[in-house]
Amino acid sequence: MTTLKSFYNEKEPYILGIGFIALLILIWESTPLWLTLPRGMALFFTTPSKIAGAFYRLLINGEIEKHSYVSAVAFLVGLGLSILVGLPLGLVMGRSRTLDALLDPYVTALNATPRIVWLPLLILWFGIGIWSKIVIVFAGAVFPMLINTYVGVKNVDRVLVNVVRSFGANEWQVMKVVVLPNSLPYIIAGLRLAIGRAILGVVVGEFFGSSKGLGYMIASAATNYKVDVVFVGVAIFMGFSLILTMSVKSLESRLATWRPEATKTF
Amino acid sequence: MTTCIQAKNVGLTFRPKNREPVTALNDFSLEVGQGEFVSIVGPSGCGKSTFLNILLGLIKPDTGLMQLNGARITGPGQDRAMVFQEFGLLPWRTVLANVELGLELKGVEFSIRRHRATELINMAGLAGFENHYPHELSGGMKQRVGLARALATDPEVLLMDEPFAALDAQTRDLMQAELLQVWDRTKKTVIFVTHSIEEAAYLSDRVVIMSARPGRIKQIIKVQLPRPRDYEMRLSPEFNDLKSRIWDVLKEELIDKK
Repeated sequence: MTTLKSFYNEKEPYILGIGFIALLILIWESTPLWLTLPRGMALFFTTPSKIAGAFYRLLINGEIEKHSYVSAVAFLVGLGLSILVGLPLGLVMGRSRTLDALLDPYVTALNATPRIVWLPLLILWFGIGIWSKIVIVFAGAVFPMLINTYVGVKNVDRVLVNVVRSFGANEWQVMKVVVLPNSLPYIIAGLRLAIGRAILGVVVGEFFGSSKGLGYMIASAATNYKVDVVFVGVAIFMGFSLILTMSVKSLESRLATWRPEATKTF
Repeated sequence: MTTCIQAKNVGLTFRPKNREPVTALNDFSLEVGQGEFVSIVGPSGCGKSTFLNILLGLIKPDTGLMQLNGARITGPGQDRAMVFQEFGLLPWRTVLANVELGLELKGVEFSIRRHRATELINMAGLAGFENHYPHELSGGMKQRVGLARALATDPEVLLMDEPFAALDAQTRDLMQAELLQVWDRTKKTVIFVTHSIEEAAYLSDRVVIMSARPGRIKQIIKVQLPRPRDYEMRLSPEFNDLKSRIWDVLKEELIDKK
């Protein structure tokens, strides 16, 4: 009894967290048993077991693999490009007044515009294939990357810059030794935002004008009232986003060993 | 004694946007000999730190000439190093990596700089803390890292900008004694900016007293106390006499302007 109790005390957050999820799934699963839905609504209702069944079916016939592959490529290429462009651009804009003045109007205007308005144009230009998705993912993710890096650079500790300059560092060394490490927490926060925007870009890009991808799978299943398939798509996105968030968190904690305290983030 | 640092009629006015210009230094002239320990005291905002930053090469003066060994100072150089008031340690670097900073920027080979840094860490009494991060150290230890880092490149001139101001009184006394030992061993030229009359009197060969803004030299007092100096010396009537002489000069500046 005591061992059970101490086991519970030790793992309380996990037991409560997982237990509550299990409880909700159980209630959801049993809903048809104690509630009779009108025919119209029953059409749009599904249960966890049916979703699991649909998931298994789609996994076996290769549908999930096919759609996930297309979505993953659009996501990774778009996000990769946004890091390759946003990070260096944020660094130089933060350090150079000239470049800042030159580029700031574009960054401000483009960032203020909802990305979706470009989609029809992008589909016209790049077709309904993967490239229009890559571009919309890029357009969504590049700004949080750029702006966060920029803010990080702007917030660099001036004393530390002077310390490094006093040892005869050139601008490149100042960037490498102080500015970049000092901006890292901002850059990581930017990466988290960028990942969210990139996933959004994949979904929206595939909802409209597409013939493949998880977003397309969800949209076409919804038009055919295949609610269980819609949930499969949602669950995959959910799992994918969770894995990415946790990876960034572990990256963050690995890079932050020098900091006095870690704060809880979601 | 050969002249090491020479400041001739140095003047600097800051012109911040949307604010009145501030004259930090005006007609400031000072000669410091090789291996001399000179302290600068003066009211807040009198341009003491500005003078150090010009010497360091981070700021250029508007007028006058600042020379090191007869050559005009045009920018930072390996012949000078600063110990900063709030330590100025890179928080993401370990003690070892912080001490190596100057050597790394100079392009010194890894094994050589590691060897040199380890040597200085031992000298500073930081052995065993090589892989600690600054936030894990006490104030006194942080400034030992700051001192070791400044000494790592073996500069000719050591500039110290209120290096012990952030430390508690006992640590401060301890660090002063350690600094004197280091100075005695390395024979560096030291310019030491401080707010503490006692500290200036205890450490220096000469104490430069500056006037309130715009900063210029009010008086230079030669410290006649013998070396090596020890803590007991601070209790002697000569020492107290010296302190009150410095205080008398400084007092007028503090009271007149406020």
